[in-house]
Amino acid sequence: MANRKIVSIHSFRGGTGKSNTTANLASQVALAGKRVGIVDTDIQSPGIHVLFGLDETKMGKTINDFLHGKCPVSEVAFNIGERALDSEGRAKLAGMNLWLFPSSIRGREISQILREGYDVNLLNEGFQTILKELQLDYLFIDTHPGLNEETLLSIAISDILIIVLRPDNQDFQGTAVTVDIARSLDVPNLILMVNKALPKYDFADLRKQVENKFHAPVAGVLPLSFDLADNGSKDIFSLQHPDHEWSKALREVAETVLAIK
Amino acid sequence: MAEDIAAQLKNCFLFKGLSDEALAAVAQKASTHTLAEGDVLMRRGETGDSLFMVNEGWFKIVTEDAQGDELIINKTAPGETIGEMALLDEAPRSASAIALTPARVLELKKDAFYEILDQRPDVALTIIRGLSSRLRFSTTYIQKAIDWSQKIAAGDYEFIENTQQALRKTESDDDKAAQLLSAFFQMVRSVKARENDLKEQLERLTLEIDEARRKQEFEDIVGTDFYANLKERAKRLRAQRAASQDEE
Ligand SMILES: Nc1ncnc2c1ncn2[C@@H]1O[C@H](COP(=O)(O)OP(=O)(O)O)[C@@H](O)[C@H]1O
Ligand SMILES: [Mg+2]
Repeated sequence: MANRKIVSIHSFRGGTGKSNTTANLASQVALAGKRVGIVDTDIQSPGIHVLFGLDETKMGKTINDFLHGKCPVSEVAFNIGERALDSEGRAKLAGMNLWLFPSSIRGREISQILREGYDVNLLNEGFQTILKELQLDYLFIDTHPGLNEETLLSIAISDILIIVLRPDNQDFQGTAVTVDIARSLDVPNLILMVNKALPKYDFADLRKQVENKFHAPVAGVLPLSFDLADNGSKDIFSLQHPDHEWSKALREVAETVLAIK
Repeated sequence: MAEDIAAQLKNCFLFKGLSDEALAAVAQKASTHTLAEGDVLMRRGETGDSLFMVNEGWFKIVTEDAQGDELIINKTAPGETIGEMALLDEAPRSASAIALTPARVLELKKDAFYEILDQRPDVALTIIRGLSSRLRFSTTYIQKAIDWSQKIAAGDYEFIENTQQALRKTESDDDKAAQLLSAFFQMVRSVKARENDLKEQLERLTLEIDEARRKQEFEDIVGTDFYANLKERAKRLRAQRAASQDEE
């Protein structure tokens, strides 16, 4: 009996740290010996490929090709454990079972799919195929911020939804609506993660405030870090700097995900 | 002519303390050059084999930044030297020197310097002392700048108050060091100010939700046809997936 899980990472606004969170969580879970896939569904503003060192020259087929019926979804898989080991952090992923399904970074292809739209059912079928063919334990979905139809779909089919928020009122407001939607869609596991918290803040207090407001567990409070900003999304930070406070808090979140039955 | 030069040499820190007779010996080996505004005295990358002493006029010492734009790293006043390291090493010039005003310089070639070294060890020793005191001075400030940078990285700005007073007491007479210090302290002050701003934001942080708006936005979304279908579909899809996984 297989037990495959779809984990969506969502945030109300862009720039919250969704792609960094997704890439680091997926890497940590893969490092724990799990079979892991990542799909970039932020088709309008793809970002996660950068963290795995992919550029236009390295990128083969994309999710866009699949959605346009140009190739089966399996051809989009980019094997991280074999082909993305060219940085200090990522080198630690050698031999791990981790695949990335990147979204196109060609301007023309992005505007085409935005103009013509795509079949969200097909995207969902793609997820199912990926899970089965690669025998995945976890499929992480890096979503587009906000609550458009595609994002609602990935929330709806998630087994685990991780909402990343910054500790400010705008994110609080937006997160509240997402939490309500996730509850109404009966998402089985709802987890919150605070990112970019100013280090001088009382993290324990912040965690309590957020949990009280949303009645959902906060799996980690991750500090705003100049080191991380300086990394410029060029590497998997928690692998490159495992002893950093950000990385420690990130691993807490990964452990929460792994503990869900 | 040589007497003129000797008089000019006197103004240069490298020859401080030399007797008139010794100065005359150096003057014989040096030559004078006149430059117009904009003339290039030396070019970055060239192999240099002479030291210049500025008698009149100002020079800018320039290199290039990463974009290839001119970067002024220093300006020299009359009495200062340019390119003195060429007397000691074979490395190419590390920067270019361009006249900012009409200028007059004395040139001492490396070969001439070695002749002096040979014939007048006393003079050579004075020159070497001058060069090394300058080096030692730079090294001291580099070391200090390293210490301070480490403190700043650790978020400790307290040193700035004490250090500045101590330095004022010793009355450093070197202009360049004073410039470095002032730039450094200015930087620390702005970093500190920015950090304080950030702390203030933090204290103002009160997390609140507008419940009426929350309800309204929720209803706007769940009221759509897409959403009504989605809820049913999501349930079905999850059940399907669970069933197919049970079979595996
Ligand atoms: N905790 C943090 N501290 C500092 N910078 C961060 C942090 N988390 C993310 N960033 C930076 O914020 C930017 C946006 O991150 P990204 O993961 O691309 O967000 P998103 O996918 O939500 O748009 C990146 O430049 C990233 O380096
Ligand atoms: Mg992103």
